Amino acid sequence: MRVAYFSPMPPETSGIADYSALLVPALARRVELVVVKRGRRRPPRRVDLSLYHLGNDPQAHGWILDALERAPGVVVLHDFVLHHLVSGTTLARGNAQGYLDALERDGGLPARLLGYAVMEKRIPALWESRPDDLPLAGGVLDRATALIVHSRHVEQRARSAGYAGAIHVIPHPAWPSPSVEAAAVGGAPLFGCFGNLNASKRIPQLLGAFSRLHRDQPDARLLLVGAVSPGFDLDRRLQRLGLHGDGIVRMDYVTEERLWALMAACNACLNLRAPTMGETSGSVVRQLSLGKPVVVSDVGWFSELPDEVALKVPVDEHEVDTLHAALELLATRDDVRVAMGNAAAALARREHDLERVAELYAAALEQAAGGAAVGEAVLREVAQAAADVGIDADGPEAAELARRLAEVELGRPS
Amino acid sequence: MRIAVCRPQVPFARGGVEIFTDALVTELLQRGHDAELVTVPFKWYPGSRVLTQAFLWRLLDLEEVDGAPVDLVIATKFPSYVIRHPNKRVWLVHQFRQAYELDRTELGQFGESPEDRALRRKVQQLDLVALGEATRLFATSENVAGRLERSTGLSAEVLPHPPQPLDYRCEASEGFVLSASRLDRSKRIDLLLEAAALDQSLEVVVVSDGPDRERLERLARERGLNGRVRFEGRVSAARLAELYARCGAVYYAPVDEDFGMGPYESFLSEKPVITTVDAGGPLEVVHDRETGLVVEAEPAAVARAAAWLREHGEEAAGYGRRGKALADEVTWDRAVARLLA
Repeated sequence: MRVAYFSPMPPETSGIADYSALLVPALARRVELVVVKRGRRRPPRRVDLSLYHLGNDPQAHGWILDALERAPGVVVLHDFVLHHLVSGTTLARGNAQGYLDALERDGGLPARLLGYAVMEKRIPALWESRPDDLPLAGGVLDRATALIVHSRHVEQRARSAGYAGAIHVIPHPAWPSPSVEAAAVGGAPLFGCFGNLNASKRIPQLLGAFSRLHRDQPDARLLLVGAVSPGFDLDRRLQRLGLHGDGIVRMDYVTEERLWALMAACNACLNLRAPTMGETSGSVVRQLSLGKPVVVSDVGWFSELPDEVALKVPVDEHEVDTLHAALELLATRDDVRVAMGNAAAALARREHDLERVAELYAAALEQAAGGAAVGEAVLREVAQAAADVGIDADGPEAAELARRLAEVELGRPS
Repeated sequence: MRIAVCRPQVPFARGGVEIFTDALVTELLQRGHDAELVTVPFKWYPGSRVLTQAFLWRLLDLEEVDGAPVDLVIATKFPSYVIRHPNKRVWLVHQFRQAYELDRTELGQFGESPEDRALRRKVQQLDLVALGEATRLFATSENVAGRLERSTGLSAEVLPHPPQPLDYRCEASEGFVLSASRLDRSKRIDLLLEAAALDQSLEVVVVSDGPDRERLERLARERGLNGRVRFEGRVSAARLAELYARCGAVYYAPVDEDFGMGPYESFLSEKPVITTVDAGGPLEVVHDRETGLVVEAEPAAVARAAAWLREHGEEAAGYGRRGKALADEVTWDRAVARLLA
């Protein structure tokens, strides 16, 4: 079976490019993959199926969305909220009508009117201010013959949006942990936070909670690795909290190898965010495979992590207090850290194993490509046998046959 | 209890599963239960026939029969466990292996077309639903339980069963190697024949029948083994017990076998077993230089193993005795008690 594989790939730098670089070799051992060249908007010839990886970034995924619009296929929905992607492939290309239609589809006429207001610059861009209310995933769902998602959260959102096709929940694969030596960073304990530094990563709340911990535990360190987002004044915040140069270790861009070494040095890692676009986190998966306890926001996919591996912080008025309590627990209880770390490593091996994930992908793709034909063949044969012995299609016997078929999920594509 | 033991039936074929399920019914009856064997013919090709034939089991109503409830159904191998019953226990002999570990091997069934690939997945999905309904899951060996867990995530308790009742005994070895497996390509009896072709002193007796018989007999002729390899076909229970009693060793080297009664039958006759490193279930009881010899799946290695056992009679007898102690632990009393607990 030949599958056209649409995804950002290295050297592009994105989480989904990294994801595909990891997945493709394992998946190619199970199905014949044709990795489609960036920008190509049609599937290659003689493929049985197309697989589209979609995230919310129009630069990385605009061409993939264009290809999906030409040829339906299986969609890997890395984010449920696609507002930025849709606006970037409609409004930003001068197709205002397309953007307004997408808004109206999600939110009715009021959303369309909001769209006009955005275009006239009367209100802030909706992809910044209200993406979660208007995810604009409808057009993608219409073209998806099946969905692959990474969380029950996205599955439920797709169902709520009316998607009736097959949805396969497949965990994010784990990278094989490189045998890196932990970087010498210091800190007892050392907490790590990796990724862009901005408000949606709850950095203000994290700094507030850590400054309180640091007062009681002066040896504690917080490692912040990642670029500071425009408009987010990290230095001023650190100064105000009395953390400047004391307790905080800052690094900007680091190589993949250095990233692993830094994560390995941490006693626990923080992965906060709100709002969520329905995304998973490659960072969290890396940390789990290193056997690190994690602290996450209690939202979306992060909520689905088992309690044994993650302390979950609700995004509410007590967020800083809860976060402080989580940091304190991990700072003072070695036994808790060890137990959570062991559980994290076991989870990565069990659920996020690359070969397992690739097998789940192959199953989803094979069912998408041939499942309908198999379902029809079964139905045809059962219906023929029933008709041969005089069972009326509208009679109770036929209804029982249908019930029994449904019980074992036969007679319909999966 | 009224108990229905469920087994698919491949018309005109008889092998380990048939022996096992017949014995199970007998053992249940002997313990005062009202037990009955329920069979449905099974054909697994062409195309989606594997699913529609499996579906036949779903249409059976065994919740009650003739006004009296059926308390328990015990399903054994694919697709008998597709049956619907509130107290369905599965004593798994094997799943539809072509959809799993035999896929893309010469013993596989499904091709590379999207339809074939999806059909295979549908069989897997059917397993997940049907086995997931079981109130208790047992597997005849660790090998079967392991495959089940890897393929579906379902856990099964390992519950081996004794082999067929025969007049097991040990007599003086006449030096020949016995193969009592069904003549099926997956049992790899050709490996033993090739070993005999390499070692002119190796004598072999092959009993049983099966679809591979003609090929095996031709191979024996082509290798000039007439006189040293004897095909006896299906034999009586008495003859089989006699052959076990008088052989020097038993050859049992299927490809990744589920369970395999061969080693147990051999052990009850106090004979060592020659098997291969990739035999699967048999490796749970055939331990190298303890209860037999475990060798690479190559004719020369099999020939060397047979010769070694022939030349080291005391060690061979010791392996057989150790095997017997192991086989004596597997009794119907224990198996039935766990099955019905």
